[in-house]
Amino acid sequence: MLRVDQVTVKRGSSFALEDISLSLAPGRTLAVVGESGAGKSTLIVTILGLVKPWKGDITWAGDSVTSCAPALVMQEPRAAFNPLLSLHRSVMEPMAARKEVASSERIARLCDGLELSRDIFDRRPGEVSVGQAQRAAIFRALIAAPTLVLLDEPLSALDAVTQKHTAKLIADLQREEGFAALIVTHDLGYAMAHADEIAVLKSGRIEEISHPEIFAKAPRSDYCRKLRDAAVALGALEISE
Amino acid sequence: MLSVSGLHAVRAGRTILHPTSLDIAPGERIGLVGASGSGKSTLGHVLIDELRSRGCRVAHVCQSPDEALDPLRSMRFHWHEAERALGLELGAIDKNTLFTSLKIADGDLRKRPWGWSRGMQQRFVIAMALISSPDLIVLDEPSSALDPVVAAATMDLLDQHLEGKETAMILITHDLGLAARRVSKLMVMETGRIVEQAPTEKILQHPQTRAARSLVAHRSWIKLPC
Amino acid sequence: MIKDLMGFVLRAVVVLSGTALATFVLLWHAPGDPAQAIAMARFDALLTEDVIDQVREEAGLNAGFWTAFRAWVGPLLTLDFGRSAVTGRAVWPDLLVAIRYMLPLALAGLAIGLAISLSLAIVAVKRPGGWLDRFAIAIASLGTAIPAYWLGLLLILLFAVHLAWLPAMGARTPEHVILPALTLGLGVAASLTRIIRSGILEARGQSFLPAIRRRGVSSRGIDRDHIAPHAAIPVVTVFGLELAFLLEGVVMVEVIFGRPGLGTFLVTAIHARDFPQVQAVIVLTALMFVTVNLLIDVVYRVIDPRIGARDA
Repeated sequence: MLRVDQVTVKRGSSFALEDISLSLAPGRTLAVVGESGAGKSTLIVTILGLVKPWKGDITWAGDSVTSCAPALVMQEPRAAFNPLLSLHRSVMEPMAARKEVASSERIARLCDGLELSRDIFDRRPGEVSVGQAQRAAIFRALIAAPTLVLLDEPLSALDAVTQKHTAKLIADLQREEGFAALIVTHDLGYAMAHADEIAVLKSGRIEEISHPEIFAKAPRSDYCRKLRDAAVALGALEISE
Repeated sequence: MLSVSGLHAVRAGRTILHPTSLDIAPGERIGLVGASGSGKSTLGHVLIDELRSRGCRVAHVCQSPDEALDPLRSMRFHWHEAERALGLELGAIDKNTLFTSLKIADGDLRKRPWGWSRGMQQRFVIAMALISSPDLIVLDEPSSALDPVVAAATMDLLDQHLEGKETAMILITHDLGLAARRVSKLMVMETGRIVEQAPTEKILQHPQTRAARSLVAHRSWIKLPC
Repeated sequence: MIKDLMGFVLRAVVVLSGTALATFVLLWHAPGDPAQAIAMARFDALLTEDVIDQVREEAGLNAGFWTAFRAWVGPLLTLDFGRSAVTGRAVWPDLLVAIRYMLPLALAGLAIGLAISLSLAIVAVKRPGGWLDRFAIAIASLGTAIPAYWLGLLLILLFAVHLAWLPAMGARTPEHVILPALTLGLGVAASLTRIIRSGILEARGQSFLPAIRRRGVSSRGIDRDHIAPHAAIPVVTVFGLELAFLLEGVVMVEVIFGRPGLGTFLVTAIHARDFPQVQAVIVLTALMFVTVNLLIDVVYRVIDPRIGARDA
């Protein structure tokens, strides 16, 4: 269980995050949505322990978050890989770290679900498309059956159809393996379709945490209503009478 | 009516766009949709080049304002540069109306792009594209690099601005859900060809090809009964 | 802005006092007897111990390091460079004369260097990888590899000795500045060419250029308004380092061509262990460095205000 307890992160003299509290149980998905600069990515690096909170605690099952070896999908897909190594070396790192070898069934499962052909793994990050790099990053995050996965805009470089297939693979694996997933996204449609809870972040504060359906039908704040209407206007969400 | 035929493109010996013909009526809104790598952007570029070579006025708006504005140059510089490129006198265009209708009238033109919000930058780029009241404006994924709230507002403002004007619009996107609400006609692309084209409603109801069916099936994340 | 200015003044003070102390220490502890060197320079003859002792007394050399240092630094704070240990004349007027000879040479060298490197780089990037480009790179590498003293001698041999077009030594007429300035300029050009070239090539890769081109802006306009400012940033960065190279070159070139100037002034002073003169040159050079680097900072912010905005 991931617990973020009254966390405040300073940035200069202001706050990047202010009094954030949330929890995430194994097998559950929490989506964090909000405008750029709201602190979504800061939240992820803070949970990973890369940024020290000025106040508050972050724990996983009572221990530090690093103890569960969280998997991360970064926002910039190509920058997430060492440009000098083949993708194969990079995506297998989580297995190498445990001195294990991935089963061929698992590799096949991930490749099929992510629509990645095997031959791209022989290439370097600069030699594949951004979309392929993004899916390879998801591959790396999921290969070693993690217990906590943090995904920062994991679908941003994919086209609309591939987004849905990729999201389905993540959801299927989660159902079978029971990992906890924290997804940062600006796509409210994705959040609605796949998260158990949605947290709306605005200028470093949580505006609302609620169940997707409640969010869609009766957003509590003005800003949440704007977000919902925008998702409808962009076709990410359909609301029928 | 803009009619072109025989548009094609080859890159590194591979045909990335097979011969294609297009007819665009004045004021028409067309959505060019397809998966990544289906040749949408290529068709857009080839179409722009062809129409330009015939002396048509065609404007292009790309995905992100980072790809359209020089961070070292002020907004005013960009505006004057665009005017000069069209052979206009400086200040010949009444930018106030344009800026007001795109809601960027209160932006400080002396600032450089990074002094503006991204949404405003993108609307500024659209304003530059509209300087000459072009025959056609091609928008290549104009909203995908923006925040949803900002993106929706930008698309709405553009819709309102083009209302009743002669300017035709082509919206290039991988997202059928986005296109469906903005255009009257859809063209579906797959591996460098237009495989299906029909009025939006018709494709949404009865997609004929595999590509169109896949796009229609995955056009939104979730349908909520309300 | 005021904060920036304070920072500059602080930096200047640290650099200046650091260099002043360091040079004084180095000179003081240099091997050999300074009193003997000064006496030799004064009387230009072999001397007895009595005379040398007298000189030591006069130059304040037996007072100990800190006393000597204070005696020098004190007046310096009021911009008084003191008097030469050899001639007894005030340092500043002599130094001014040296600078008057040095400045035209340095400026001409810089101008030649800029002109050559700019045109070479612009020709080179017409077709990157083409033979002109490779030729330019080859010339630039060659230029970096050839030391100024050798290049200077070659130029003297060709233009002064064989062709007899230009004077080789001295500084009597404006013509005398041509060969030394060329020597200096070629060295500057060699290093600048590569930087300007790669700056232009990098600027051409900027992601917003295709869109601007599609807006119908001419390629001449793009070169002038978008590529040039972006390419200028690395060039400005290197310019500060280039100045060090230039001053070093000036010293060498003045000696080779027998020109009076800052370099000759410095070399003579070092030989004679004329502390006040050496120190004056060093402090002046350090001051020049600090000023140029401040100017570079300012130019940066004019070209790319993001730099200033990010610091704030």
